[in-house]
Amino acid sequence: MALERPRTVQSSIVEAGPYCRQVSGEPVVAFRAFLDGIQRTRVLGYLNGIPLIYGTIAAVVRARIDRKLVTWRSPLIERRLYVPERALPAYALDALRNHFDITDTAADSDGAVERHPIGLMERAVPLVQTDRSRLEKHLADAWCADETEPVLVDGGISGSERAAKSGLAVGAIKTHRTLYLDGDALSAVLAMPAGNRSAAFRISSARSPVVSWYLRLRDAGGHDPMWGLLRVEIAESNSLSARADEVSRWLLAERTPLALPDGRWDRMTYGVRGCEEYLRAIL
Amino acid sequence: MSENGVPLGRVVATERKPNTPHEFHFWTALDSPVGIGTIVRVHGTHAVEGHMPVIYGIIVDGFSYTDLQTPLHDVIGHDGSPAQGAFAATERAEIRLYTAHVLRQLPEEPLQPVPMGDVFLATEADVEIALRMDGYLRPEARTGIPVGIYRAGGTESPIYLDADFLMGPEAAHLNITGVSGLATKTSAVEWLLSSLFAHFPAQKGSIAAVCFNVKGPDLCYLDLPSVLEESDLAMYERLGVPPEPFAKVEYYAPYKADGRSLNTLRSNEALLHNVVPLTWGLREVLQFAEVLLNKDDVDAKADALIDFIKERVLDRDFSDEMLKNRHRVQSFADLEAFFKDVLRSMESARGSGQESWRTHHVATIRKVRNRLSNISTRCAGLVADDGAVSDLPFGNFEDRRVYVVDVATLEEDAQDLIFARVVSKLREHLERRDLGVSHVVVFVDELNKYAPADGQDTYVRKMLLDIAERGRYLGLVLFSAQQFRSQVHRRVVGNSGTALFGRMDADELATPGYSVLSPATRTKLATLEKGQLMVRHPHFTQPIFVRFPRPAVLRGRDGAERYPQAVDVTLDIAVHRSLRTLDSSITLNWVKDAIVLHDDGVVLEAMRAALRERPGNVKEFFQRRFRSVIKSQSTTRAAPPAAIQAPPGEDPYDF
Repeated sequence: MALERPRTVQSSIVEAGPYCRQVSGEPVVAFRAFLDGIQRTRVLGYLNGIPLIYGTIAAVVRARIDRKLVTWRSPLIERRLYVPERALPAYALDALRNHFDITDTAADSDGAVERHPIGLMERAVPLVQTDRSRLEKHLADAWCADETEPVLVDGGISGSERAAKSGLAVGAIKTHRTLYLDGDALSAVLAMPAGNRSAAFRISSARSPVVSWYLRLRDAGGHDPMWGLLRVEIAESNSLSARADEVSRWLLAERTPLALPDGRWDRMTYGVRGCEEYLRAIL
Repeated sequence: MSENGVPLGRVVATERKPNTPHEFHFWTALDSPVGIGTIVRVHGTHAVEGHMPVIYGIIVDGFSYTDLQTPLHDVIGHDGSPAQGAFAATERAEIRLYTAHVLRQLPEEPLQPVPMGDVFLATEADVEIALRMDGYLRPEARTGIPVGIYRAGGTESPIYLDADFLMGPEAAHLNITGVSGLATKTSAVEWLLSSLFAHFPAQKGSIAAVCFNVKGPDLCYLDLPSVLEESDLAMYERLGVPPEPFAKVEYYAPYKADGRSLNTLRSNEALLHNVVPLTWGLREVLQFAEVLLNKDDVDAKADALIDFIKERVLDRDFSDEMLKNRHRVQSFADLEAFFKDVLRSMESARGSGQESWRTHHVATIRKVRNRLSNISTRCAGLVADDGAVSDLPFGNFEDRRVYVVDVATLEEDAQDLIFARVVSKLREHLERRDLGVSHVVVFVDELNKYAPADGQDTYVRKMLLDIAERGRYLGLVLFSAQQFRSQVHRRVVGNSGTALFGRMDADELATPGYSVLSPATRTKLATLEKGQLMVRHPHFTQPIFVRFPRPAVLRGRDGAERYPQAVDVTLDIAVHRSLRTLDSSITLNWVKDAIVLHDDGVVLEAMRAALRERPGNVKEFFQRRFRSVIKSQSTTRAAPPAAIQAPPGEDPYDF
């Protein structure tokens, strides 16, 4: 799978003051639930050299009750076949349709269909991711519609209009292929110590605009500068600084227990890991 | 929720921890009411030969862990400060994983590994099936003896032993192990005897118990009630046993060396009505001389002389041309006279070079005389010089009666002698079917003393082995107890079909005999509360933990406080106390008047005779004994009057 090219984007900073600041107040436990999804792909077989890619996608909300995680409603699970429809004989496609839901991996190409098996696999992966995001969005929408307490979503919330406008959803992004600050602001963020956050900035390029900031969960000493660094997304707020501090306090409270042995434990909350473990166990 | 109730767990198996036909694993919620010893039921999900398998198991081990990979992760998570643990927003995922041993599989064939399935808490009916009690609790052939109540997670189920496997003939005997001081062993036996008396099936005949009180006052108050708590009474009711002391109890104790007061902690005047003196004569003792005589001491020659005495001298008119007197040896006193005569005669004949009498060398005779006469000293109070016998009512044992033989304060030799003789007599009578009852429970505490695993082979140990191996065919059943099972001869404990375990010493649990138990079961054994037991029984494929009620009899310690031991008293008071148990109208003044003119020995003999014979008219019987004694004394003293000395012939005063 081709990785997104690392890049920096200068977003518009919407909070006055220094680039970095200490989060005020003590950590506060506030998240009532955690939302995450997983995906798996494997090749079922080859037909005329075309890989039949079987994808499993799932998402779940794990609610926290008495400090224990339990499944909110039911997890969403889908299993689909990812194939270039035009490259398959009609009879084979019909036979596959009898058994699988199918996503056409060549739907967005007008010209010749990719035939390289590896290329076909690489085309399938983002489609599987998209389907996973769809399930996560569905759950995020449902939570925001029916619940009254905050949920921590693994990843951005801008994909869901309802979540991006709800005060209940908080997105926590662990990967930083795109950095939304540049120049001095970026330098300051990469050097900030644990318990500090950046000034808030707006991400307008997303489907639904959201407010975001960087939060250092753990000191990066001895690691790369993005170790222990989260980017947070929330809905627009009138009292942005106070809201950013409040949500940051919520996130700092999630530093324990550690999400070890997950390799991303420096940025991952235990609740989010709990979602992944749950889905791995049932798939 | 299925029709079977709410499952409390699910069976799990992995390649590293697979299930087998005898063991399986399951997990539960953190707040599940199960623990070591809980019985569970597993429902299989795939039918085998048309039958859905149901498996019953008992939890023998438990594990708990979280998703932490190493403890270090937790240290890092709390920055090395344990106090920060309380601030964790979410509790780590945690598992309660249990290992259970299979009690029973249905259907029993084919025997397969335990399948995956839901796990349920066993109900009362499940417990009955799991422990195979359904086989002996059928109304038409009920042989169940309640041993206690199994409790777990709201389930409360009576546990029964099978009388056929407790009292024979299928298996028999019961052994109890537990640390001292928690009253578990004695309490358990008292409770179990109550239960046995209440539930012993009529079709199996009659039953009595002979208990040897070997230490303290533990068994001295079996006929007196204790104060029971509500919880105990509820257990008695649930198990169908009346919460009452034993209705029929008789105590047997030898006299102290003074011959007038009984050597028992139950010597309080208020309790003497059912205390019977235990005295034996020469005949009874010589039958078991082997018990008292050291094998190294008594060689084949001495043995031959003892046999000669038993066969040719004892209770016979014996005369020998070399001896000065005719002898009829019936008591130790007679025996001493006999020996004196023999030795004196040999000394007289020494000049002729005679070193032997009837092939027995003089040294052997002296040695046997010494050893035998020692017995009456070592067992003073038990062995009567006058040959009088007051014994257990062999031949007239009563159904549901407890006979307590108090040997707690006796010398070890005397204890051995009493034990050997009583048990041998029980065996003889049971073999002849004329004991009076068809089954006898013999309770012996401190079994590691009487049947030690190592050390020299003693008569008592041989006898215990014999009971353990063959007693069940006779109805002679051994209930034994000890602190350290590992120190008891393995054939004695090995032949005990049923074994009870109270709280155990950790050192004892570390011995190889307990290696079959899981570490968790051993830990539970080391921390059992009073009133809890682990039970092994032939029908139970795994040990079961039960609770039993406090015995309905007065505890030894309480009894000793409430009924203090009588202090040694003067002869007239001793006689008064003894005779008053037979006739309450007898007063101390009457006794004083009756005995004033007589020797202590004569008085004691009359008192013992009255206690032995238990006559209808005690006063007349007692006084008649004196008359006969006086008469015989006057006869023996009827020597011709000494001649009056003749006056001197040359009496200067001419008297």
